[in-house]
Amino acid sequence: MSATATSQSWRERLFGTPVTTVVTLILALIIAWVAIPIIRWALIDATWRGTTREDCAPGGACWVFIRARFGQFMYGLYPQGERWRADLAGILFALGGAALVFAPQRHKLKLALAALVVLPPLGVWLLAGGFGLRPVETREWGGLMLTVFISIYASLIAIPLGILLALGRQSQLRVIRLVSVLFIEFWRGVPIIAVIFLASLLLPLIMPSGIGVDRLARAVIGLGFCIAAYMAEAVRGGLQALPSGQREAATALGLTYWKATWFIILPQALRISLPAITNEFIALVKNTTLVLVVSILDLLGIAQASLADPNWVGMSMEAYVFSGGIYWLICFALSRWSKSLETKRAR
Amino acid sequence: MKTIYLAGAILAGSASMALAQQLAPSPTLDAVKARGHIECGVHLGLPGFSFANDKGEWTGLDVDYCKALAAAVLGDATKVKFTPTSVQQRWPILQSGQVDLLSRNSTITFSRNATLGLNFQGINFYEGQTFIVRKKANAKTAADLDGASICVAAGSTEEKNAADWFRERNLKVTITNFQKNDDAITAYDSGRCDAYTAGVGALAGQRAKLKVPDEHVILTQPISNDPQGPVTRWGDERWQLIVRWVLNGTIAAEMLGVTSKNVDEMKANSKNTEVRRLLGAEGGFGAMMGLPDDWMYKVIKQVGNYGESYERTVGMGSALKLERGQNQLWTKGGLLFTPPFQ
Repeated sequence: MSATATSQSWRERLFGTPVTTVVTLILALIIAWVAIPIIRWALIDATWRGTTREDCAPGGACWVFIRARFGQFMYGLYPQGERWRADLAGILFALGGAALVFAPQRHKLKLALAALVVLPPLGVWLLAGGFGLRPVETREWGGLMLTVFISIYASLIAIPLGILLALGRQSQLRVIRLVSVLFIEFWRGVPIIAVIFLASLLLPLIMPSGIGVDRLARAVIGLGFCIAAYMAEAVRGGLQALPSGQREAATALGLTYWKATWFIILPQALRISLPAITNEFIALVKNTTLVLVVSILDLLGIAQASLADPNWVGMSMEAYVFSGGIYWLICFALSRWSKSLETKRAR
Repeated sequence: MKTIYLAGAILAGSASMALAQQLAPSPTLDAVKARGHIECGVHLGLPGFSFANDKGEWTGLDVDYCKALAAAVLGDATKVKFTPTSVQQRWPILQSGQVDLLSRNSTITFSRNATLGLNFQGINFYEGQTFIVRKKANAKTAADLDGASICVAAGSTEEKNAADWFRERNLKVTITNFQKNDDAITAYDSGRCDAYTAGVGALAGQRAKLKVPDEHVILTQPISNDPQGPVTRWGDERWQLIVRWVLNGTIAAEMLGVTSKNVDEMKANSKNTEVRRLLGAEGGFGAMMGLPDDWMYKVIKQVGNYGESYERTVGMGSALKLERGQNQLWTKGGLLFTPPFQ
């Protein structure tokens, strides 16, 4: 019954009056006009099998290129024999995330803290090696792995720092307030691309020679600080939306500042600011591509670099469509996840 | 008699002092040896010059030079690590000591040399703006393009260069502007213009993207002069010496007919003094720079001479199929030149 009802209502909406009918037809034509060539290029005329550029049929996409370079798109120049380490790190992080989502409520906090303490250093160890594993320099990292790495580690800096800054901005203590405001305004006011530049070019010039902080680490920290400032403002929105009675009641019950913040204020404020935080996080994922200016080969960087292979020249559409598609998938998944969190919390 | 001996001893002493002076300390060389590899700054991705292949190995003409340097200094062409650099970061990354040298298709200019604290150690590629035309148009030089139409990106240096060049020579060409380089080359490919203009190296990459690359030819005489070569920091003259003479050595080897295939035989049997000096059979040239005497032998054996490297990376052995043009030896009509190994 509902199916016919829906189709009925759709028919009414699309073809109800002569005007809507004409508009519908025009829009359908435009969509067909745009979509058909794209579908033809990407699917129908595309070449899927083969090993070299010669196997590609003209006119369609040549996905052979993506196949040949798939490893690089995923791991950059990471040594072939060591790529299982990146996979393992990814699986561990995914398991950690899943555990956080599905664990029973009373174990959640312990689990979250354990994951925060154990996972980040474990991930770095797996990727960078040392202590029994073959060391792999960060210059060999790349591709999707690096994009995910930068996103996760920059947000590990940004989320706690952002919350602290938001609280600091609301603080009664003038010094803390001032420091927070200065930090937020500075990092929010400077373009991210400038921060990455400064971190990767100016720091080594200023620092005494011999003290080298890894290039990737500098970029991650710079990115983390920028996002922290944005995150702080998102959280502040949530804090300000809370009626002041919440804190007053908590104080009246004898809770200390930190206890009141932890148990009463933050859970509510974060729930309110979740859409804004997700927004920042999606922005962060896309902002990771800015590391390209300092030649760190993230997913987009490796796509661009692989276009320089004379054996594969002219594959720019394929490379950009493929990497763009992956970025879209990540961001879409994030927004869906946050949506589900919102509805779950709203219950 | 005694005074003569004394004078001789003094002379010998001062001679050995002079020798000691030649082997001035080289912090870069020491650092390279301690580290066990050379840090080489390359282009992030330029077809034929520097790119990571399907296996993730850096390859290309600029990359080959760094491999040659590693073979000369450390005896092993694989002992080099590459740092891809963007246009914006190339100078700072060298100035701050994060790399030992740049081999990154950067044009040698007076102001760069004078103000950046950097030295250019010779030319490994004569880049210059030129034209790509259809073979059937039968044009040999840019001057043959009189009356032709040329596709360019609006406002680009190439547009200005080309317009100036033809105006100075009272040649009439129609310059058709496009928003981007990609649009201009597509228009050329579809037959809207007779020619498209860009640097030699860039054109080689562009040609491979055309519908039928074989129907097009790149004019070998450029209308601008943008020589490119390895770059080092000021100071550490011995390191600069090594960087310069490894490049010279690869050119000299081609000049002298020494290739990776015949190098063993040449080293053992050649009567040519310059060949023998180059390969370390006599003269002790390596030692003068603080390197093993077989430094160039290792380079030629492992990487090959300049011509071999060129053909493999941008020349006929590669997908780019770029003619030698100006990057041919001076004895064969090009500009490649090296001072003698004497």
